[in-house]
Amino acid sequence: MRNGPLVITFLVATSLVAMFFIPHHKVQEGQSVLLNWANVVYAFALILGSLTLWVSHQKKVLARAEGWPYSVVTLAALSFVTVAGTVQGVEEGTLVNRYYNMVNSPLASTMFALLAFFIASAAFRAFRARNAEATLLLGTAIVMMIGRVSVGEFLWSGFPPVTEWLLDVPNLAAKRAIALGIGLGAISTALKIILGIDRTYLGRS
Amino acid sequence: MSDALNTSWFDPARVNLLVGLAVFIAFLILNIKRAKGGSNMFIRPLAGLKAVDEAIGRATEMGRPVLYLPGLGDMSEAGTLASIAILGRVARRTAEMGCDLDVPGYDPVATTIMDGAARQAYTEAGRRDAYRPGTVHYVTTQQFAYVAAVSGFMLRERPAANIFMGSFYAESLFLAETGNLTGAIQIAGCDQVTQLPFFVCACDYTLLGEELFAAGAFLGQEPVQLATVAAQDWAKALAAAMVVVSLLASAMGHPELGLLLQTR
Repeated sequence: MRNGPLVITFLVATSLVAMFFIPHHKVQEGQSVLLNWANVVYAFALILGSLTLWVSHQKKVLARAEGWPYSVVTLAALSFVTVAGTVQGVEEGTLVNRYYNMVNSPLASTMFALLAFFIASAAFRAFRARNAEATLLLGTAIVMMIGRVSVGEFLWSGFPPVTEWLLDVPNLAAKRAIALGIGLGAISTALKIILGIDRTYLGRS
Repeated sequence: MSDALNTSWFDPARVNLLVGLAVFIAFLILNIKRAKGGSNMFIRPLAGLKAVDEAIGRATEMGRPVLYLPGLGDMSEAGTLASIAILGRVARRTAEMGCDLDVPGYDPVATTIMDGAARQAYTEAGRRDAYRPGTVHYVTTQQFAYVAAVSGFMLRERPAANIFMGSFYAESLFLAETGNLTGAIQIAGCDQVTQLPFFVCACDYTLLGEELFAAGAFLGQEPVQLATVAAQDWAKALAAAMVVVSLLASAMGHPELGLLLQTR
């Protein structure tokens, strides 16, 4: 019984790996079925997550904990979207769709826009000539920034080609080296889960 | 032949991937046997992971929580799986040191699993009663709504240590800079190559790429887990050697090896 989940993980995972190498149409249909089951599991987990969210914010409101008005807003938004979506659906023209386009999307875009200021503050802090490597980083950053704007080409026609070379040669080489390590690390992690070496996802050491 | 009528039982274009997978599994089995036979499995110390204890100790002394962010990936991503393994170790340390832990979840399935992992860690540390329900809590599956919620927590609760481990995307710099503003010690590990520079700039310690996947083994120091890291290193050495050989062969007019390494 304790090994049940491990056996299920092993069988399902090895089946999916095998399906990657078998192009037979029946096998590919089976793969689609398995992936659709994953969507069903996700939907139930979403319900569980939403209930947890509701309970935690409800507790804050009832206890008048710090920031409880924000919890009221959260509960109100959760209730509204759930009820309106269930009654009307989420297609074009429905309340949920209008809420998404008029509230959610602008808020997300606003947050995304703040990223520019964070990049500026991080660059101001990080690009300091403290040592040789930091000076190299600073110099490269200056060349990159100038080479990426129109005035760079105006100042010196060599800026854009140098910028492209920096991106296409040393930068790409480093990215690929790290990506190679990440790929192998991902395979190792997946094999640990499949073979039952790592069981933390089951709540066991 | 169209996919709908495909009746072949093996795709010959993917034989190189199958051979690669078989070699990796062979390395894994060999190193596990070495580990079980008592061989010393050494992993070079990673500054970021050695700093985890220091960060949790600092949080305990200051009476402030540790914030652990598992990333924005779901359970199909290796970064999230690695993050869950690391969370188990971190939760055990916070339980032993009597420090508060907060884990805002992005994916509901991953959040449920992380809750179980954290509870188990507290139980193994003998502090089951200290586990606060709501330690691991689901926030939202909207990227920037998640960022807003976590940033708000950072600015209100002022955690002493922020640990970012998993798959992060455009929000990485946002979270790291907000944490920087609060003066927290920050340790990050991400499997997205494009986000690593942001974490390097804004965090005190960063695990680069594959170090994220070795972190769970490093923190636990269990021989079998260390053996998987050794297998990973062997595979990387082999891959690097094949790249160099195929490069030289191509330069001398024999690109066949390079073509063999192409994937589909």
